Amino acid sequence: MSLRIVVAVKYVPDATGDRHFAEDLTTDRDAVDGLLSELDEYAVEQALQIAEEADDAEITVLTVGPEDAKDALRKALSMGADQAVHVEDDALHGTDALGTSLVLAKAIEHTGYDLVVCGMASTDGTMGVLPAMLAERLGVPQVTLLSEVKVEDGKVTGRRDGDAASEQLEAQLPAVVSVTDQSGEARYPSFKGIMAAKKKKVESLDLSDLGIEEDEVGLAGAWTKVDSAAERPARTAGTIVTDEGEGGKQLAAFLAEQKFI
Amino acid sequence: MSVTLDNALLESEEHRTLRSCVAALGRRYGREYFTAAVRAGRQTDELWREAAKLGYLGVNLPEQYGGGGGGMTELSIVLEELGATGCPLLLLVVSPAICGTVIARFGTEAQRAHWLPGLADGSVRMAFGITEPDAGSNSHRITTTARRDGDDWLLSGRKVFISGVDIADATLIVGRTEDARTGKLKPCLFIVPRETAGFEFRPIPMELAAPEKQFQLFLDDVRLPADALVGDEDAGLLQLFAGLNPERIMTAAFSLGMGRYALDTAVEYARTRQVWQAPIGAHQAIAHPLAQVRIELELAQLMMRKAAFLYDNGDDMGAGEAANMAKYAAAEAGAHAVDQAVHTLGGNGLTTEYGLASLLTASRVGRIAPVSREMILNFVSHHTLGLPKSY
Ligand SMILES: Cc1cc2nc3c(=O)[nH]c(=O)nc-3n(C[C@H](O)[C@H](O)[C@H](O)COP(=O)(O)OP(=O)(O)OC[C@H]3O[C@@H](n4cnc5c(N)ncnc54)[C@H](O)[C@@H]3O)c2cc1C
Ligand SMILES: Cc1cc2nc3c(=O)[nH]c(=O)nc-3n(C[C@H](O)[C@H](O)[C@H](O)COP(=O)(O)OP(=O)(O)OC[C@H]3O[C@@H](n4cnc5c(N)ncnc54)[C@H](O)[C@@H]3O)c2cc1C
Repeated sequence: MSLRIVVAVKYVPDATGDRHFAEDLTTDRDAVDGLLSELDEYAVEQALQIAEEADDAEITVLTVGPEDAKDALRKALSMGADQAVHVEDDALHGTDALGTSLVLAKAIEHTGYDLVVCGMASTDGTMGVLPAMLAERLGVPQVTLLSEVKVEDGKVTGRRDGDAASEQLEAQLPAVVSVTDQSGEARYPSFKGIMAAKKKKVESLDLSDLGIEEDEVGLAGAWTKVDSAAERPARTAGTIVTDEGEGGKQLAAFLAEQKFI
Repeated sequence: MSVTLDNALLESEEHRTLRSCVAALGRRYGREYFTAAVRAGRQTDELWREAAKLGYLGVNLPEQYGGGGGGMTELSIVLEELGATGCPLLLLVVSPAICGTVIARFGTEAQRAHWLPGLADGSVRMAFGITEPDAGSNSHRITTTARRDGDDWLLSGRKVFISGVDIADATLIVGRTEDARTGKLKPCLFIVPRETAGFEFRPIPMELAAPEKQFQLFLDDVRLPADALVGDEDAGLLQLFAGLNPERIMTAAFSLGMGRYALDTAVEYARTRQVWQAPIGAHQAIAHPLAQVRIELELAQLMMRKAAFLYDNGDDMGAGEAANMAKYAAAEAGAHAVDQAVHTLGGNGLTTEYGLASLLTASRVGRIAPVSREMILNFVSHHTLGLPKSY
């Protein structure tokens, strides 16, 4: 039977753009262009490699996000994923991690899966909690933060590199994994991949399709509430030490003053 | 905004994706990589190979032979975007665009099967030689001649300024058949593998900071098998015309890419360089010319896309005028962009570190090759405006 892989990918504001908060203290997603979270490209890449190794595999990329999030799905499809699922609903605005994990879990169950692959964290929210929440909601094992991953004989195995040690992990499928930016450079979409992406199926779902009530998600349904948000002050020019014989001393003095040494 | 107006004026989603993917690839190599290769006298082969593997170099060639099944629209996007990151691949102008097109449209089945898969996947490169010492703008004067010798051909003549012969597996040579020596131009195109006996090439010292070199060719009774002749003997002129539009469209893409690279460099500099209180980009004397360049590049790109659109839709005649205009506009915009960029950087515009000065010569190529600015103005005068000829 074919191996069903679901890759959760997030559409995030371009980090090189000018990012701001909206009036309700959510991220202002209209002001900047969005794209497929770079860290999720690694997830797509690993899914593609797993699928290439498997006899028969099918990759579904899944996103929860606004209309434009389709761009992230197209990108993943042009890299080689087979089909896509897009959960879009106005009521999702302001959904927190718990809410997002609920929606993702329902959509994953709706799609059917043997393996869920996530990135290590989104590049905007960067909480890195969703894979764990998803595993909990789906009631399956989680093997997170892998820098190497393989699927063999109904098991997923992988290596997690920590500061002090590397762990070799395995879990029975179905399971949720997340992969790090050390798992291997993501491929660029080939020309054929780009042209084929348009013809691939993108299924659109809303909350009612997934049997989720509006008050379970959105700002109102969020377990966390943002009380205030402030922009990080603009970076100042920095201090340039020109070495005219005393450079070393000046550097040391600077570091001491900043309490680095 | 997700309004998509997919037509010839506004690029389709696939084309935009292709642009962003090629640009991402180019950025990963970057200008540093390009200049390091030039300094070391190396080719930018790693980039060539990676772009080839992704199918970017054969986008215009038929799918049946491993190409992408697209056209000049796609191929010009590839070259323009690579150029905009400072990493142009000059041979795209000749190898897939001219040679690939001519062989795909006019080659025999055996020639297509032999050459196209390699041209499409980038494993084979082909140069294109038409210019001769006494036949540049006036290509009617070509004297490279092919004689029959049994089933074989014997090809003799000289060529100049032929790009990339040393790195090309073969060169597509424009000659003429002997009995046509006096009559009107009756060109014939021959595929000459690089190692063929009697085929000699010598680099011409050029003041262009580019990995690809230009060569003088000496063909001295080069013996070629019958199937070295592309298609049949009488289709030469048609073949030549089929190759010219892609060549002009790609030259436009080359100029546009370079212009965009120069403009980006200048804008970045103008944003941060502070001489008085405000960054120099705040002075209109610096800002307006850059804005003007941006407009010119944008307009030229639109014209290039029109030419590619017409060509890809089978309108060779309509594409001819558009391709000439696009090449003209892009070359002017590119040269203006580089000129203005150099000026924006002040003294740094001429340093090796900032790498813009060498573009001053490189950006002139688009005004000279493959047809000069004057020859395009002649074409528009005669063909479009119906004015009389002086030559
Ligand atoms: C329509 C919509 C509106 C939102 N509006 C706001 C807002 O206004 N303000 C705000 O702060 N947050 C908003 N969110 C973000 C939401 O709170 C986060 O998606 C959620 O908290 C997850 O946290 P994270 O991004 O840190 O994920 P992480 O836990 O860092 O992500 C880990 C991995 O989970 C997967 N993943 C995460 N998010 C998604 C997703 N949406 N779709 C598919 N896979 C995903 C990816 O594989 C990712 O690599 C919104 C989300 C949606 C869908
Ligand atoms: C970097 C580079 C790469 C090249 N690569 C190739 C290649 O790969 N293959 C190839 O075949 N060729 C190549 N060429 C050659 C190029 O196509 C010729 O240089 C070009 O066609 C001009 O010919 P010419 O140099 O003989 O100039 P000429 O024909 O001698 O012209 C000299 C000047 O006179 C002007 N002029 C000529 N006739 C007229 C007229 N009737 N009215 C007004 N002005 C006129 C021209 O515009 C030009 O300014 C390359 C050239 C360069 C510089």
